[in-house]
Order: sequence, then C-alpha cells, then structure tokens
Amino acid sequence: MALTGIQIFKLTPKKNCKECGSPTCMAFAMKVAQGAVGIDKCPYMSEDAIAQLSEASAPPMKTIEIGKKPFADNKNDTDASFKLGGETVLFRHEKTFVNKTRYASTVSTAMDAAKVDQILTDMAKIDYERIGDRMYVEFIAVDHTDGASADAYAELAKKAAAANRALILNVKDEAAAAAALEAVKDTKPVLNGADASNYEAMNKLATGADVVLGVTGSNVDEIYDTIAAIEKLGNKKLIVDLGSVSVKDAFANAVLLRRACLDKNPDRTAGYPTIANVAKLAPGDAHMQTALATLFTMKYGSIVIVEEMTYAQALPLYGLRQNLFTDPQKAPRIEPGIYPINGAEENSICLTTVDFALTYFLVSGELERSGVPCNLLISDAGGLSVLTSWAAGKFSAGSIAKYIQEFDIENKIKNRTLVLPGKVAVLKGDLEAKLPDWNIVVGPTEAVQLVKFLKDMQANGQA
Amino acid sequence: MPLNKKLQKFSATVRSVELGTGDKTTTLGGSNTYPFYTFDNPTTNTAKIGIEISDLGLAEEPDCMKEFYAGCETVVDMAKKAVTVEGADFLVLKLIGGDPNGENKSIEELVETAKSVADAVDFPLVVEGCKNVEKDSQLLPKVAEALQGKNVLLMSAKEENYKNIGAAAGLAYDQLLGAESAVDINLAKQLNVLIKQLGVDVGKVVMNVGSAAAGYGFDYCISTLDRVKGAALGQSDDSLLMPIITPVADETWSVKEASASEEDVPEWGSVVERAIDMEITTAVACLSCGSDAVILKHPTSIAAVASMIKALV
Amino acid sequence: MAKFITIGERLSTTAPAVNKAFLARDPEPILARAKQQLEAGATYLDVNIGPAEGYGEDLMKWAVQLLQSNFDNVPLALDTSNKAAIEAGISVYNRAKGKPIVNSADAAGRIENIDLAAANDAIVIALCNGEGIAADNDERMGYCQMLLERGMEHGMDVNEDMWFDPLFLVIKGMQDKQMDVLNFIGDLTDMGLKTTGGLSNNSNGMPKHIRPIMDSAMVAMAMMKGMTSAIVNPNDLRLMETIKSCDIIRNETLYADSYLEI
Repeated sequence: MALTGIQIFKLTPKKNCKECGSPTCMAFAMKVAQGAVGIDKCPYMSEDAIAQLSEASAPPMKTIEIGKKPFADNKNDTDASFKLGGETVLFRHEKTFVNKTRYASTVSTAMDAAKVDQILTDMAKIDYERIGDRMYVEFIAVDHTDGASADAYAELAKKAAAANRALILNVKDEAAAAAALEAVKDTKPVLNGADASNYEAMNKLATGADVVLGVTGSNVDEIYDTIAAIEKLGNKKLIVDLGSVSVKDAFANAVLLRRACLDKNPDRTAGYPTIANVAKLAPGDAHMQTALATLFTMKYGSIVIVEEMTYAQALPLYGLRQNLFTDPQKAPRIEPGIYPINGAEENSICLTTVDFALTYFLVSGELERSGVPCNLLISDAGGLSVLTSWAAGKFSAGSIAKYIQEFDIENKIKNRTLVLPGKVAVLKGDLEAKLPDWNIVVGPTEAVQLVKFLKDMQANGQA
Repeated sequence: MPLNKKLQKFSATVRSVELGTGDKTTTLGGSNTYPFYTFDNPTTNTAKIGIEISDLGLAEEPDCMKEFYAGCETVVDMAKKAVTVEGADFLVLKLIGGDPNGENKSIEELVETAKSVADAVDFPLVVEGCKNVEKDSQLLPKVAEALQGKNVLLMSAKEENYKNIGAAAGLAYDQLLGAESAVDINLAKQLNVLIKQLGVDVGKVVMNVGSAAAGYGFDYCISTLDRVKGAALGQSDDSLLMPIITPVADETWSVKEASASEEDVPEWGSVVERAIDMEITTAVACLSCGSDAVILKHPTSIAAVASMIKALV
Repeated sequence: MAKFITIGERLSTTAPAVNKAFLARDPEPILARAKQQLEAGATYLDVNIGPAEGYGEDLMKWAVQLLQSNFDNVPLALDTSNKAAIEAGISVYNRAKGKPIVNSADAAGRIENIDLAAANDAIVIALCNGEGIAADNDERMGYCQMLLERGMEHGMDVNEDMWFDPLFLVIKGMQDKQMDVLNFIGDLTDMGLKTTGGLSNNSNGMPKHIRPIMDSAMVAMAMMKGMTSAIVNPNDLRLMETIKSCDIIRNETLYADSYLEI
C-alpha cells in the first residue's frame, strides 16, 4: 500500500533543512507521496523509513514468467518464457498495454487418449503469422478430474508437455499435483490449484518445484485473503484464477483486482496476472466461449483457457489481441511489398496505396470484395493516411517510382496499369513522366467505390 | 482483511432512449458505469442487439443466411422471421439498394419497402440508409415521414448531411436520430453539438462512433469507445451522453476470415463458424468498451452475445 | 485532475446593489446576478455577506435557500468572517450538486475555519497567508504546512477538501512577485493539493478594458501550473473562453469545434 503524505511526513526528520530542495519536510513528504521526487533526496531518512518507502514504490502489478517459449516463437532465445502482467494502465489509450493475453486449449483426465490426441493435433494446426506476429495456442491447460490417479495425471501432463507448449496444471489434488510437477516441472508450468483450504500444501509444492502458483477462491475477498496469506509465506510468484463461480463474478474479479492494483494508492496484493478459464464458465458451448474469451481479452485476462481452440475462434481473437496491444501513439504499419489479391499474378492490374494499416485493410478488403485479381503495391509512406503522407511528401511520384525500382516491380509484374488513389490524382502527370512505360489511372477517392471501379475496368477489358 | 474495492461512481448517466412504440419497445443506454461493471452500480438497462436485413433480400447474402431465411420470398417475409430470433431486441432494415453506385433504387421504392416492413412487424425498428451521403439525405427524411408514429431510429446523420436528416427525423417527424462519425471523438462530440443546435431533442439521439472488424484497425474503435464513455461519464460531458449503437455485421462479414471459401483455405475450417465467431468477437469487444447496442446478422451470434449479456448483468 | 472550477464572485456586499438587496432580503437583484453568472458557466457561486454581525445567521440561511431553491441546488461558497453565519448557512445547505465551501481560513486569525469545515464535511479555502503579505515562497509554504497539519488533525481529506489559495497579488505595485505566486501554485500542485484564489486581484487598479486581458493571461499561466479553481467574474467572456480553452489543452474536456458554445 502506498504511503500518504502524512505517513511519509512522520518518517522525515522534520527539521526543514531544505537540503532536499523542498522548503519544508511537509512539502517534501507530499511530493514523495505524489511520486514527484524520490525519497533519496532526503539525506536524513532512516534505513527503516527507506525500506518502508521502497516497498511502496515497487511496480503496482507484478510481471510473472511462465513456461519456456517454443523455439519458433523467439528465434534468439530458446529458453525465453511467457511474460504476463506488469500492466500500468486500465485503458489502452493511456499507455501501451505491456504483456498480451495468451490462450490455452484444455486436455483432461476425463478424456480418453484419442480425444487428447485429437485436441493436441488440432491445436498444433493453428499456427500462422499475422502482421509480423506468430499466432498459435501458447498454453495447454491440463485438468485433473475427481478420482483420476496421480499417475494418470502425470502421464497426461507429460503428453501435453511433449506438444511443446507451456502448461497450466489445473489440479487441487495434492498427490496428483506432486506427481505432475515431478514429471514436467522443467517446463515451468503454472501449478493452478491453491485456494483457502489447501494453500499451504500447494505453496510448498510450487516453491519446491520453483513454479508459479495459481490461486483462486469463491469470491474476490477470499482470493485476496489467500494471496495475502501466501505472500506472508514469502511467495510472490503467483497468478490469480478468476474462478468459475459465475461469468459475472469472474468478470468482477478481473476488473476489481486490476483496478485495486492500479489505483493511485496501489494495492500490490491485488497486482498479479490472471487466468480466465472460460472452458469452465461455459462448458460445451463453443460460441459462448468465443464471447467470453473476447470479454476477458478486453478486460484483464492474462491467460484465457478454452476447451478446444478452433481456427474460427483464433482468427478474430488473435486479430483483436493484436489491435488491443498495439502502441496507441503509433499508427500501425504494413510492410512495403507486393500484396496479390484474389489470386493475382504477374499479368494482373496494379493498385497502390499507403502503408498505414487502417488504409491497407480498408483498401484490401474492398479489393477482395471486388473479386478482381489485382496486385496491391504498398510503399513506405511513413505509416500515414493518403492525404497526410502526400502532404508530408512521403507519398509522391518520386517515392512511388523509387519503390517500383527498389522492389524490382517491373521484373516481377508484367502488367503496366497502375491505379492511384483518387485523393492524389495530382500525382498522375508526374508519375507518367517518371514511369513512362506505365498506364497511370486515377482511382476512386473512397475505398468503398473500388468494387464498382474494378468491376467496371474488368468489364471494359482493362483489368 | 477483504479487498478494499475501489468502486467507481459517476454522477452522469447515459441517456435512455426508447425505440419503438406500444408494448414492443426497447431501451438503449441508461447505464452509469463502464460496460457490465455491475459491481459499481447495478445495471438498470442491459446492452441490446439488433438483427439486420436488407432491401436486397437474400441476393447478396452468404449461403448460411440463405439457409436461415429459406422460404422467405420477400423482405417482409425475412423481417417476420428475423424478429423471432431469440436475443434480438430490434430489427434493422438496411436500404442498401439505394446506392447510386449499386442498384440505385428509387426513393419511392425504398420508402415503400420500409413501410411494408414496419407495417408487417410489431417490433422496434431501425432504418439504415444506403451510406451514400447525398442519397441518404433525400431518402431518410422520406422514410422518417412515411413511418411517422413508429418511433424508429434513422441511421445516420453525418457531418455532411445532418441538417436534412436531423431536421426531418428529429424535428418534423419526431423519430430517433443516429449521429455517425468515423472513429473520431472530437467529431463525434461536434456532431452532437450541431444536432442539438439544430433544435433536435438530445434525448432522441443515438451515436454511431464508428466500427471495424476485430483485427482490422479495431484498436481505433476500442480507444474511441473507451474515450467517449470515459468523457461522458467521467467528465459528465452532456454532448457525449447519447447511447452508442455499433453496426458490427457491416464490418465483419466481408473480411477474409469470415468470407474466404473452404476450398480456398481448407485449414481454416467451416466458413459459417468463422463468420459467426468473427461477429461474436467483434460484437463483444464493442460492448465491452462502450457500445450500448450492436447490430448483428446471424442468429447463432445473436444467441451467444445475448447469453453473455444475460450472464453479466 | 478535473475540469477547472469557477466560483462566481458577483454576489458580494462590496457591490452596493447586492448589499442593498441582502439587507432588504430582496430576492430579485440576487437571483438576477446569480442567473447571469450561472448562464455564463460558473460552477460555484460565492455568497459574500460581509461580517454581518448580529444578522449574519439569518441572512446566510435566507441566501442559501433562495439560491438553491431557484437554481437546482447550485453549490455555494459561504463567504464571511462570521462563523455562526457559515454554520447557519451549512445547516440549510443541500449537497446534491457539491459540498459547501467555507471561504475562508488563513494561517492567522481565521485558522479555526478549518475546524469548522472539518466538523461540517465542507470544503475549505485555505489562504496561505498570515499577518501581512508573505515575503517569499518559503513563508507561504510555512503557512501551507500549518494549514495542512490543522486539516489533518481534524481528519480532513486534505487532497480533496482543502483548496489552497496562494493569494494573488496586485501587479500594479507587486509586479516582481507574480512569478513567485505562480511557482507556488506549481509547488502546491506537486504536493497533490488543490488550489483556488481571487484571480482578479492581480489586475486591480488597471483600466477596465485591460483587466479581462490580464486576468485571462494570469489564469492561463496559473492553469499551466496546475491550478484547479479560481474565484472569478464569470461574466468576463474573454476569461471564461480562456478557461475553456485551457481545459481543452489540459485534456480535461474533449475538444469539439463548438467547444466555446457549450
């Protein structure tokens, strides 16, 4: 808990010596409470006071590391883990969110081997790249069900670990947890099984194996109290399971905990990453799981567990996540290059626009809708919209001509028709002069008009 | 020691706007917390879902929608079927056929369609224009006139045509008015101010602050919705206290994740499932940051989003 | 932070018309002035009844009830050296639109007004001044500390309910002290404290057409230093437009082309 100005004031020497740069100790204390100056500016603080204050100035939400990333996720560091938490704001427009939500599919001791294999195989199929990010199911939740033996659970954990994903061991049974940890602790899984009734034993297992401990409870107060009790035992490598009492409760837990730790008087005991187990909140209902996975991606789930991630779920969820975790100050950009659309090849017509992602998506969407094969040529226009980049001199006849040369377009594409965005029709003359072999056509001013425009060109034999 | 819950109370409340007449009305807006934050204050009114059909009938619809509306001969048949979908709170009729770059249907024909739908179903109704600014500024006032007494929401008045549409819908024929801006919070506010200055009752205005499909520049939507809600509630900004309606289906059904055929991308699996999940994810994301209502197309998406809303309040 | 709070200063016994209306309990002139100020965008209205010895309690009650019943419980600053009058005013005050403000306490004879505000869950304007005018910011900070400690002793939420007044000084006469005052506002802001003050003091004695210009410049510079409120003439259009513009720049209100009209 952060200290208030008056609490800090009580720790000061109260001599108003001004050596800290503030006129009085009170003024200094108030500034420290605001975070405007550091406590070290006062030469007369006791060590005890400094210790109390440094505790209070730790990051409000902890960053927890789990698992080992599969090789392909991070080419430079084969042992890198997934970082979760460490967030500093409640809304993305305030500051970039730090550690993106990760997703998990579930295997369980209640499933037969064939089902487990099918889930693991299907999960592995979801693996693709989208604007520079690898999209795949990073975690596997391994559920222990009542009555399953410790050995069977350990075997299941081993099988899941062989799939080369990070693991969440959802287990309350001590013997099963111990057996599974023994089998897979080197993969740095989460031991997700502590609650008010068993946290001492679970904490012993987690610290013994040096893995992160998952904590849950029947309501937010119980979760909070259990975390506090485990912190007292000296363990702060924790993650909160938001629980499966109800959707409403799990959502409230997510928001209340995040809000408490990011408050101006941060409550660090509330500051841990979270697991939203939507498989348990809506068992057997894949569409409801899609809805809830979205909800907890938006509002404060660090790991979202579904029963079986499908491509249909992954495509929108991963796209959403990519948007959510971008820097709000920086316009997202598309790599310059040739983007063939509707099966375009070297004889298909060319269009060009800027590398601002929003423009690209709008334009490429409409081009796809037209059904006309075409090559979309994206040059480096500074990540700005058409008119802005034109005004900034970053989307000009010169820049387009240079791009055509640098990307060796004339050898890669035989078609010599290039459609310009209507908003920069003024470039036509210049461009014709710079690219004499090309037929420069002025396109529509709005993306929505592209469908008709291209269909008309096709009808006229121009595309 | 229990968690010290930092509950958030706002003095402002998003205005409640009632759509429809008689027994069949639905209320948009009315909350005074961030979406679904019932722990801050119990919600008196939940998020709403619209189901959309268009005057073009089934011609341009994907196969799954043709299947759902199988047996429907006319737009009126579709409307009758749409209003039976569980979870749908209002019907949205899009008059896409008016687009001069498309079918270019006459205003009379479109008004006739709107009227026949409104007469055939006893259900809260939203009528969307064709999105061509000039055509809509002619078309929507005529629709407003023809549907007098039905208390329909007309979408949308934009910066370029708010005077015509606002005067007709909001002043002359006492309908509800949609104010549309494209992910630009300052313009969203300005348009509301202009509409108010026109003399329209702000209690009858609903905002569409822009939308996108998840993954397609949706970051702008998130921040626009977050900031509009934040300013409306946190700063009690009267010019932003209108409920927000977001047309989701418009954006989601055309992206390649939702439309690429199974032959083209066999690894992606069922195109219907992809379209549904894209619609669900985008809708839930909008609702979670501030939309008071979303417009969807597929009954399965509507059911899923409705059950999530129900589970949260 | 939050939107800048303006406290309308035009209901003051120093204005002869107001004084006369107060004494005669004549509602019309009071309501007319209140209306003008609220329509111009004032958040709070200051009710300055002077010392009002002997009749202050009755007058303050009358004024509070008159204003709040006519203007939807408009929040008020109760401005008098008469403590009994302030307490009487608070006893009939409706908090629906905001806590009452006790105007004011200082670090000399009126420090007990902090106790009064604390006991009544009111906001207090705490003037960082003792006897005479503070020589420098060290002295001001000393007063501030004294006031802060008093507030804490009485259990006030000092970051919310104590609004510190640096005491604006007249430029004609103390031109060289102006940056001190502004820097002091910055110091208070750094301490997480709220600030207010009688802004137009700075332009006292200047020609009438100059005053709105000088007041506007002063409020802009003070807002840059984090000032959260001021006691102003809300019917000074230039000043109010400056405040609205500064609130836009400080990101306290959302910009729209028509922001000056709303």
